[in-house]
Amino acid sequence: MIKPMPFARRAVLLAALVLPVIVQPALAADPAETFVAANIQKGLTLLNNKALSREQRQDQFEQFLLGLTDLKRIADFTLGQYRRSAPPGDVAAFEVAFQNYAVAVYQSYFSKYAGQTLKVTNSQARAATDYIVTTQLVDPSVKGPPLEVDFRVRTDGPRPVVVDVSVAGVWISLEQRDQFVAFLGQNNGNVKLLISHLSDLAKQFK
Amino acid sequence: MRGLRALLWGLGGLLLAGCAAPAPEALAANDPYEATNRDVLALNQKLDDIFFRRTVRNYLALPEDLRTGVHNVLRNLALPTIFVNDVLQGQAKRASSSAARFVINSSIGIGGIFDPAASAGFAYHGEDFGQTLAVWGVGEGPFLMLPLLGPNNPRDTAGLAVDTFVIDPTNYIHFKQHLWWDAGRQYLNVLDLRSQTFETLEGIERSSVDYYASLRNLYRQSRDAEIRNGAPAKSGELPDF
Repeated sequence: MIKPMPFARRAVLLAALVLPVIVQPALAADPAETFVAANIQKGLTLLNNKALSREQRQDQFEQFLLGLTDLKRIADFTLGQYRRSAPPGDVAAFEVAFQNYAVAVYQSYFSKYAGQTLKVTNSQARAATDYIVTTQLVDPSVKGPPLEVDFRVRTDGPRPVVVDVSVAGVWISLEQRDQFVAFLGQNNGNVKLLISHLSDLAKQFK
Repeated sequence: MRGLRALLWGLGGLLLAGCAAPAPEALAANDPYEATNRDVLALNQKLDDIFFRRTVRNYLALPEDLRTGVHNVLRNLALPTIFVNDVLQGQAKRASSSAARFVINSSIGIGGIFDPAASAGFAYHGEDFGQTLAVWGVGEGPFLMLPLLGPNNPRDTAGLAVDTFVIDPTNYIHFKQHLWWDAGRQYLNVLDLRSQTFETLEGIERSSVDYYASLRNLYRQSRDAEIRNGAPAKSGELPDF
């Protein structure tokens, strides 16, 4: 006959089985979370670095953005259904124009958040290599609640990359795709015209 | 009177223009009235230039504390409506927070000029009947650009009407100057909202290749976020890259 296990031993055994399951998720952040925590603050600090000249800051931010994001993938996404129908030469030229536009506009946009502190609060996996990392941007000079900023991170390449950013629930790449598709719809799918507009805008912001 | 007649003719013309067959892109974007909506946006931008832009610039030149006080009073006046919508959505915790904010800010905050409730842990949150309808499962319907009111949809337009004419308790306080009170409050609401979003909208307009499409998307995404009360979107709602 098997002797019943004493309560204390059963409790220890149960704890040994269950505790690692409870503790593990809190200890092991996913690669996307680690990537965001390690890199985004660098960009905010860079934008706030008064020791750099305007040109130096622009150059360093461009390098930072290119290392952090997959702008080619984002550019292709923002073309929507026109990605498939446009001539390959136009798509390649659009990818270059989009990169220049994104660097100029994002620098202007994210300068507003320079000097603020980013805190990673959570992350969820959409798929094995597709994560949404939730963060809060804390402005020490403002009393109100922190700004919710989410990062969409893909980890299917040689290094993790950001493919979209959401500020207060608004995803930037989704907004850009709607704009570009609407523009192309109004202009007979003329990607060259879109490239020309993006180049003009990039010049205005530089 | 002649100006009003011209405006009505203009609006009538815009509505007739909307009867033309919509483009496939417009249908795909759930925007069958896109051509009319774009005309209304152009009209709104002209009205904004005439009636608001300069006033907003002057308003922004006033001391920040004064503008914050006006903003706080307007938000305090909206709290009973927010409270009712919290209740209708079954959000007991948020409803009690709205009630507490109203009591604290109306008394200690001197009619809502100051916001001591936020320091006491009752942070502001917005809520309206359009969001309540969404929580009850009502779809947004096609995109609409309304004269003066801007980006909208049938659900949120109906919600705005219910909030303004049915839920808002000031409707049930009868006094002689009610019309002026309503007009003044709505004007201040628009001025406050316009001043809060002035720089952001200027930035969006400057960096957009299609300002109309940008506003349409921003309205939809920010409304979705409000309806979710800030919770992250379900992963299935986002497209693949």
